[in-house]
Amino acid sequence: MDWTATAGLLAGRVAIVTGASGGVGRGLARALALAGARVVVAARSPAGGQETVGLIEVDGGQALFVATDVCDASAVRRMVEATVRAFGGLDIVVHNAASTLARPTPLEDVDDAMWAEQAGVSLDALHHLAHAALPYLRDTGRGRFLVLSSAQGQHGGAMNPTYTALKAAQRGFVKALAREWGPHDIVVNALAPAALTDAARSYLEADPERTREAMKSFPLGRMGDMRDDIGPAAVAMCSDLWRYVTGQTVNVDGGYYTAL
Amino acid sequence: MMMASASQHRSLDGELALIIELGLPLMSGIAEGLGDAGAEVIALRDPRLAGSQDEVDAALATALGPDRSPALVVLSLLGEATTKLGPLSDTDLATWRAGAADPIRVAMRVLTALGARMRPAGRGAILFLAPSLSLVGGVGMVALSTALEGQRGLMKSIARQWGSSGVTLNWAAAAPRALSSLFEEADLAAKGDPVPIALGRRPDARTEIAALGAWLASPAGRGVTGATLMIDGGEWMVP
Repeated sequence: MDWTATAGLLAGRVAIVTGASGGVGRGLARALALAGARVVVAARSPAGGQETVGLIEVDGGQALFVATDVCDASAVRRMVEATVRAFGGLDIVVHNAASTLARPTPLEDVDDAMWAEQAGVSLDALHHLAHAALPYLRDTGRGRFLVLSSAQGQHGGAMNPTYTALKAAQRGFVKALAREWGPHDIVVNALAPAALTDAARSYLEADPERTREAMKSFPLGRMGDMRDDIGPAAVAMCSDLWRYVTGQTVNVDGGYYTAL
Repeated sequence: MMMASASQHRSLDGELALIIELGLPLMSGIAEGLGDAGAEVIALRDPRLAGSQDEVDAALATALGPDRSPALVVLSLLGEATTKLGPLSDTDLATWRAGAADPIRVAMRVLTALGARMRPAGRGAILFLAPSLSLVGGVGMVALSTALEGQRGLMKSIARQWGSSGVTLNWAAAAPRALSSLFEEADLAAKGDPVPIALGRRPDARTEIAALGAWLASPAGRGVTGATLMIDGGEWMVP
């Protein structure tokens, strides 16, 4: 990846990335920082969050870890306030955090605890983040609110109805909030990645035949690197380059979902 | 204007059709239309639908008895809170949960209860009926759009899970103002096209929306599942 293409696109911007202690969130946080943003890594895990901060600093960027449970409204509010204290404002919110319980589970086996945890991370967190961030995003005149959704919410993943429903719900959130926040020049979008996370890699590497079959679904023949494939798209969506795109779900997935 | 009646086809002769409704009433005319198509129609409007899985199962048993399985289910599960339209910034957490998340969980329980009857029967069509606004968003409708899109995603997932059993699930996205007066004053998205609605009118619930459900339950409609069917007279023409 030639990062000169995105260098400076987010200079002077301040971004929050939730769930950035690893996986897709870490990749996005690093990409935003490489594009010039100062990044708050909001996650529950101090070890993973600090590791992301360290990686950003090695890349020459500036970042701060703030321990945050996105299901806790007061914790989210404190995290946003800490962001503004540390970096002087807030321009970009990326809600990437996902539940660790989002495992394949047939409909009839979904219990209330499983639902509450996943709905908390996917939907309550959107409420908390939107409420806490709105005053700052409104002030900046270039606010961005980006939600990490999934193609499963579009094509209907068979094995995990809870995850599928919640990722689809986030698309409804984005479409409506884009209309509500448009007059404030706040752009609201969703990004549906196909990222080769550690979990995806472990799943695929356990069965080479499964990998061959799965990769047939990707015209580009591979899943995306979190920083180098997914990250630049997120940078563009958060930059002025995409300032006239709002209310959309953008699939960054190597051509996996092409049904629209 | 003369409209063809579903009774001309009577594709549901002798069949059981179940209407399930929780919250905002959207089903005006649907029961009559399904009756026109020959169905025995049972309407289930029971507050237990918002309760636990056991309560949902009990509500369904009250309506259908221990083992009847409908050939067609038309359902709307919006809940009460989704009828309170307002900006997200004015929506407290309890209202948000009741409006955005709970309708999805309710739909999961209702589908679980229906599946226990319909999958062993090896056939049946489930049709969610909803306002089309969630497909395009709307000011003051963040919770409602979130809930509806969540239910629509759920519908697709379960359509895949249950497809081999012969049970189909689909989504009818109808013009909001054809479904409820709630939307008369709502700030609905509009295109400003010189021809905003191709047919120039809203769909008729009895002769057109109900007929769509009847068709899906007929042999001709059994190959359609997981689909979003726009019944808005050609307003949005979504890709």
